[in-house]
Amino acid sequence: MVKLTIRRQDGNTIWYETFEVEERPGMTVLEALFQIQEKQDGSLCFRYSCRGAVCGSCAMLINRKPGLACRTQLSDARTEVVHDPESENVSLKHDSKDEDKEGILVEPLPNLQVIRDLIVDMDHFFRLVDSIGPWLGVPEDAGNEQTLMEPALQMQIEKYTNCILCATCHGSCPAAERDGEYLGPAALAKAWRFFIDPRNDEEDVGKLLSDIDSHEGVWGCDVVYRCVAVCPKKVPPTTAIIKLREKIKER
Amino acid sequence: MIDHDIIVIGGGLAGLRAALEAYKLGADVAVISKVYPIRSHSGAAQGGINASLGSDDSWEGHAFDTVKGSDYLADQDTVEVLCKEAPERVIEMENWGCNFSRQENGRIAQRPFGGAGFPRTCFAGDRTGHNLLHTLYEQVLRYKIKVYNERLVTKLVTDNGKCTGCIAMDLADSELEVFRAKATIFATGGYGRIYQRSTNAIINRGFGISLAYNAGVPLEDMEFVQFHPTTLWGTNILITEGARGEGGYLFNREHERFMERYAKDAMELAPRDIVARAIQKEIDEGRGFPEGYVHLDLTHLGKQKINERLPGIRQISIDFAGIDPVKEPIPVQPGQHYSMGGVSSDKDGRTPMPGLYAVGECACISVHGANRLGGNSLLDTVVFGRRAGMDAVGYARSVSRPDEDELMEAFRMEEDRISGMIGGEGENFASIRDDLQRVMQEHVGVFRNRKGLEHALKEIKHLRKRALELRVQSNVKVFNFELVNALELQGMLELGYIITLGALAREESRGAHYRTDHLERDDEKWLKHTLAFMDKEPRLEYKEVNIGTFAPKRREY
Repeated sequence: MVKLTIRRQDGNTIWYETFEVEERPGMTVLEALFQIQEKQDGSLCFRYSCRGAVCGSCAMLINRKPGLACRTQLSDARTEVVHDPESENVSLKHDSKDEDKEGILVEPLPNLQVIRDLIVDMDHFFRLVDSIGPWLGVPEDAGNEQTLMEPALQMQIEKYTNCILCATCHGSCPAAERDGEYLGPAALAKAWRFFIDPRNDEEDVGKLLSDIDSHEGVWGCDVVYRCVAVCPKKVPPTTAIIKLREKIKER
Repeated sequence: MIDHDIIVIGGGLAGLRAALEAYKLGADVAVISKVYPIRSHSGAAQGGINASLGSDDSWEGHAFDTVKGSDYLADQDTVEVLCKEAPERVIEMENWGCNFSRQENGRIAQRPFGGAGFPRTCFAGDRTGHNLLHTLYEQVLRYKIKVYNERLVTKLVTDNGKCTGCIAMDLADSELEVFRAKATIFATGGYGRIYQRSTNAIINRGFGISLAYNAGVPLEDMEFVQFHPTTLWGTNILITEGARGEGGYLFNREHERFMERYAKDAMELAPRDIVARAIQKEIDEGRGFPEGYVHLDLTHLGKQKINERLPGIRQISIDFAGIDPVKEPIPVQPGQHYSMGGVSSDKDGRTPMPGLYAVGECACISVHGANRLGGNSLLDTVVFGRRAGMDAVGYARSVSRPDEDELMEAFRMEEDRISGMIGGEGENFASIRDDLQRVMQEHVGVFRNRKGLEHALKEIKHLRKRALELRVQSNVKVFNFELVNALELQGMLELGYIITLGALAREESRGAHYRTDHLERDDEKWLKHTLAFMDKEPRLEYKEVNIGTFAPKRREY
């Protein structure tokens, strides 16, 4: 058996609840949450879809680290020491008894408003990303010819198109914590992806740089690489932000 | 009541492509999706999308491979449409920003895929679906097409035999909403989760298909279920055919490349039905590993090629099986992957019901027949998604706004039905679902026979009875997933029954439908499509296959 302590929320009521889950080899945090939802408490809610770390639905805080529940093995999570469990004035008993040290702490992704339990307001996150205009503005009358692209450039873009918009980065970002209007690592990584895409036209690229040349944009970043550290798809938003700052200065 | 000319249900590739086309032609169109569109299962597609881009390839070659792969059950007129339009649709996706992998000369790269006589599968690493889905979604954002996120459609509404809209539940507050539309396009995906072992996302419960069926639309060829040969042992996450396309080998426990005995020329790149049966046979006859898998070996490809061409596969293997394919072979077993069958529809996505369209995996057009070739499903979504969007615009212009009486009546009935499921004593959805998954896996899988299928039918009938006593204990309004599961389970049971019924009736082996008690394909009796109609009990009828240039021949690889 493994213990999962989950931060629950319904309206303004917040509580921590511990569930015991029957563990199977290779079991993930997401599977444990399903077991609780199906066998113990049908009201527990969390988002899910692919269970294979490609859709980005199940980002949450596991042992105080943002990550995908489907990609986190129980066996890895239970051996972690949870730092600073009292940071929210919550007693988790993690230090009181040895056996509880094996428990796993599951909380909603930070820096986004909680709707209920582990579900946060993703609309806010998407509004931030969408505000940079993350698309190619190809003219309607463009012919039907493929654009040629160097394989090396394709691979450079791929580093950023790998983003699954799970918001794990957003949940780890100190700037997003301070400022709800900060565009955040995902939006800025996407901005770089469109900046370097040769299919984008000059006008759109210029507008893109202007849009992010602000304190809510690239200048809001603390450059502490937390987003890079937590990204489940190895996207490096901080690198993108540094490069975008250089491009803005060059203008 | 929410009004639109056209409502698209489902925010995966087929749905978004349909919406985009309808929007560009000036229609008032909206998308309803039970998840944020980018969470759709289209995003999990790995290997690629087929198009005859090569100067020495042709749409005819693509069409022949598709028809042969389908074991001659595909309609050849629709296959022609699929293959002819493929290059244009793929290049269009490239123009919209899809980050396809490239050849040295800068053109879109193409890899060999199972059952294909030419390397015509375009790809973006091994995350092709992800790249296509995000690209299409970006275009939907660009045009500010309205998307109703996190809504579960619970009923399709008809009036005088025409589709006039639907009832949907907003998951954020469990309130029902009425959507009125002149035309409705279903793009709700597959039903993989009725099986125990499936590559599909957890949300793939086939609910949309069951809604259309319950509204009186026939389902076509439901007994044809694709089992992907290589799913990761343990979680059944997809390991792309591209892994074999790039040169991966299959080995049994005796380190024998056993495909030699099943498809001596095509080897690992035989079509999926053949490779899946070969693997299952090796396992069943004790030449697999005791836990029920064989090895997919990529180690000889080297780290650089794996990192460039199959980075997602490497990451999945490490994350979910603790195995690095650069150093060790991947343990794989067959698992449910795709539905060749679905809501009966034509080359413009039209179903027999006026005002209702179906495209993508939820539909049976039929371009995949008895066995789909890898790389053809992504293509199917964009080709027929676009065509349905276009046709629906014309249709919507030709009809007046539907009357609201039937819609409001359906709304009240749904309110009563759904609130009646909450509270009280009864069985939980999960135990019934688990039993259904077990029955389908054991008796309606890679190998089938009369006895097993009859047993499965009996069991599913019993499960349907149990489902009448289904109760939802949680009465929360905000994201009540127990309720969502309970609602969708009803559809899963119906689909399981129809698949099994069709499989029992079809006394032959064709493509993915393999009867150990009827080993041969029987064109005289069974070169025909199955249609399942809703009646007191599902009723089967049959219709002719459209045969064009390619006369049915024995299928060898």
